[in-house]
Amino acid sequence: MMLSPHRLVQVPPGVQCFVGAEARRRRHIEETVVSVFEGWDYEEIIPPLFDYADVFGSPDLVARTYSFVGRDGSLLALRPDFTSLLAKIAAGRLAHRPAPMRLYYSGEVLRYEPPRAGAQSELFQMGLEHLGGAPTRADAEILAIAAECLDALGARGWVLAVGHVGVFHGLLAGVTLDPASMDRLRERVEAKDGSGVGAVLRETNAPAAVTEALQALGGLAGGRDVLEEAVRRFAAFPAAVAAVAELRAIVDALGEAGLGDRLAIDLGEVRGLDYYTGLVFRAYAKDLGFEVGGGGRYDTLLGRFGRPMPAVGFMLGLDRVAALLDRQQVAPPASVAPAETIAAEATGPALLEARRRRAAGARVRLDEQSQAESRRSRGDEEDGSARLPQERVSGPRSPESTR
Amino acid sequence: MSVTIALSKGRLLPGSEALFRRAGLPFPEDPGRRLVVSLDGLRYLFVKDQDVPTYVEHGVADCGVAGGDVLLEAGADVYEPFDLGFGRCRLVVARPASARPDPRSSSLRVATKYPRITAAHFLQRGVSVEVVRLSGSVELAPVLGLCDCIVDIVETGRTLEENGLAIVEEVAPSSARLIVNRASYHARRDVLAPLLSRLQGAA
Repeated sequence: MMLSPHRLVQVPPGVQCFVGAEARRRRHIEETVVSVFEGWDYEEIIPPLFDYADVFGSPDLVARTYSFVGRDGSLLALRPDFTSLLAKIAAGRLAHRPAPMRLYYSGEVLRYEPPRAGAQSELFQMGLEHLGGAPTRADAEILAIAAECLDALGARGWVLAVGHVGVFHGLLAGVTLDPASMDRLRERVEAKDGSGVGAVLRETNAPAAVTEALQALGGLAGGRDVLEEAVRRFAAFPAAVAAVAELRAIVDALGEAGLGDRLAIDLGEVRGLDYYTGLVFRAYAKDLGFEVGGGGRYDTLLGRFGRPMPAVGFMLGLDRVAALLDRQQVAPPASVAPAETIAAEATGPALLEARRRRAAGARVRLDEQSQAESRRSRGDEEDGSARLPQERVSGPRSPESTR
Repeated sequence: MSVTIALSKGRLLPGSEALFRRAGLPFPEDPGRRLVVSLDGLRYLFVKDQDVPTYVEHGVADCGVAGGDVLLEAGADVYEPFDLGFGRCRLVVARPASARPDPRSSSLRVATKYPRITAAHFLQRGVSVEVVRLSGSVELAPVLGLCDCIVDIVETGRTLEENGLAIVEEVAPSSARLIVNRASYHARRDVLAPLLSRLQGAA
């Protein structure tokens, strides 16, 4: 059965097209976030749209990457994330630069995403990476920047849910799990499903104390007191306690900086375990069911590119920020002021007048040709479509001019 | 600030009602055909079993009660902080008791309401299957020759027996779970945490 004969106007699943107020809102969000990044002295990197596929080695992403074979037979991939590209650039192009480096990006990434809540194949991400800085200080800095972005955007009721993957690893120290059990365990901890954690570990040789601790891990979420509770509960696991102490140092620094009530502790946050090595966090807000962004510490990634150094970063998803601001009815940026219409019979004098006013900074719009002139050039038809609404003024790249 | 709770209109409704009443929470006397009922700061949505995870994952509902079977099928990215202990059943593979295994058959046709779970289950054993998606009365399918076997939930096993089917193996146990939207869990903790702890106490 053919659902629609008009394939040429269909949009493939997972991609979107924005017009009018939506497009303006997105541009405004990007400008707001980028100005916060610039305000903290981060430097923009514009990486390529595609690169060799093995640059994007994160196991989580490999299966979701659009890859293709280049003319020389090399396997290429459309960028599924920015962090790998920035790491590569920091280790290569910027190898002479001393650490720390503060870099940011803003642009689209492409991933195969099965359709589900908040998932798109084409995502617009705005993020930054703090490379080679002193851990706790850099972690606290990027959390403060994330907080400033959300405030600058006008979002309300948001929190940064912070965790530390070292707690999970510390509890598992000395226990070997096959990769499949490890995946299921991670997924059950992530779901805060204590009984599911028990079911996974029952089939392994994990000691009872480890099972009990991991069953409790997902529920260790809430205020700062959760950290004290974790230290008490996990006293038998020194590596886990050390990770909690690292997280506490970050949380305390943010508390002193006046951001304490914006943090939620979540020791069950264990996504991206193959990638993150310390702090992990996600930004949630009421009115949107999923996070608007997140990040964490990834101290092993730059080593892959031959310049080992600690690193931490985060990104905000533009689509999700836009959805959040819509739901919270944060007023979109005012539409642009109406243009001054320039009416003149002949094109030359009209253009001259337009150029004069543009030089003075005005927003101008050349009026359509007069009716008489229009009839002469097109035959006798009245053409209503020539009167486009103000917000859809064709730019210099309208189809006519590129043909 | 009200909390929105998604509940299944189906087999988990009596257990859900009992749980909320045990927890001392207001529960609509007789929702009837109403799909949304607001009571003392709680807003109840009554939706189809399979839709509970969707409402919660998207954050339309802050939390909900969903069957483990439905959750597994949906693969929804939600928190599942505790088991509610009711609605216990098993997801099983069943086939006509009279059918002898055919050693030559290299592929199976399986009818089910759980296409994702079914595909994953057989894939794991390297058996290639053709999944036939049905929305009810799955027990009938092998009797009528639509498929070789089925994947479905059983509570007592009586329906299977009445249709001449026998259990071949268990895929997963299932019971009702409390599920919570990830953003609500963190960003609405002030209103949600007291509710969750009361429900946990009553579970």
